[in-house]
Amino acid sequence: MKSFVCRCEQVVAIVRKDFVVSLRRRAALAAMMMFALTATAALSLSTSGVVEPKILSALLWVIIFFAAGAGVAGTFDDEAQAGTLPTLKLYADAQAVLFGKMIHVLASLISLTVFIVPTFLILFDADVADGLLMVATLLLGLIGLSAAGTLTAALTTSAVAKGGLFPILLFPVTLPIFLPAISLTEAALTGAAFDGGSLVMMMMFDAMLVTAASILYDYL
Amino acid sequence: MTAIEFRDVSLSFGRREIFRHATLNLRGGRVIGVVGANGAGKSTLLKLAGKIIAPDAGTVALPEGLTIGAVTPEMKLYGALTGAENLAFFARLRGKVLSPEKIFELGRRVGLEAQAFDVLAENFSTGMRQRLKFAVLLAVDADIWLLDEPTANLDDDGREKFFTEIRDAAPDKIILLATNDATEVGICDEVIRLPL
Repeated sequence: MKSFVCRCEQVVAIVRKDFVVSLRRRAALAAMMMFALTATAALSLSTSGVVEPKILSALLWVIIFFAAGAGVAGTFDDEAQAGTLPTLKLYADAQAVLFGKMIHVLASLISLTVFIVPTFLILFDADVADGLLMVATLLLGLIGLSAAGTLTAALTTSAVAKGGLFPILLFPVTLPIFLPAISLTEAALTGAAFDGGSLVMMMMFDAMLVTAASILYDYL
Repeated sequence: MTAIEFRDVSLSFGRREIFRHATLNLRGGRVIGVVGANGAGKSTLLKLAGKIIAPDAGTVALPEGLTIGAVTPEMKLYGALTGAENLAFFARLRGKVLSPEKIFELGRRVGLEAQAFDVLAENFSTGMRQRLKFAVLLAVDADIWLLDEPTANLDDDGREKFFTEIRDAAPDKIILLATNDATEVGICDEVIRLPL
């Protein structure tokens, strides 16, 4: 029990530290925001904002995926480059490092989504018919993306071509999240009946990704 | 007093063999110096002792529940955090909450002025960073100290403060000091010469 409390304290300390560092450095958050904004504006202008809801949903998740890649890829690598990763690993429990980073990534992706989804809806002149479903879908999708993204970022830290490797490794892992997310986002936009099984599937896959990340991180 | 035991440890980096069936007993309560030529494996021995790396063969047995702290060249602190934030962060990782008075006291012990704690660590000089690393080590109050050329880049005052703290802490700690510096070797109670 004491060990669990210690780990929780470490997780909180790491999340707080990452927030302070990212607010002072701003590079990762700015990269994500700029990619998302540029991609949204370019797609909106090139299609005159007239896109089928299915395609619109897919475009939203493609933008979130690649914008996340721009920011999340450096989660561990920035620390490795700065030489702080060995110090962090020495003083903190490995699982606390993983979950601290994962929560920080999730919070960053939520910030990105809060910024980009309204922008996306305005530029594509789209409405959300089912707000609750939209929020639930986005949250479940971001949890899965955070878990897979954090583990992939840890895996690619020592890779030479980490920039190219990160999306290649991340895409197949997150595909089972994106497919139901796109269907559910479409349903949230149109107000059509949705398959509750897709939400359950996303929850289960999120749980699987978080568990797998926790188990595999000890071997890195 | 507890000890770190190397049992039949072998380790190679590519074709370069660092340790071959090495057996060592690193007893606590004293300062153990690790000396040897460049590339002899001084830093590697410290990493093995701290379980930062694993041997190819054999075992390194650490007493259960002991915590590790280090001052080594490759372990850096956060440049985007102030000196005080760095101290508070690493202490928090070990479940300790530092009061401003405690931070001031740690600063005094390592020779960092109070105003240095409000400055981002990236603006510290090399010597100040080294002092801050040592302050972190004191703040977390680790049981095992891994020191790799800890007084490099320090002035005489900094070196003397380091030596005083090391000597004072030695009876309750396991302290390994990798060095080729004659003064650092001088404060050691026992010296291991590499290659073994």
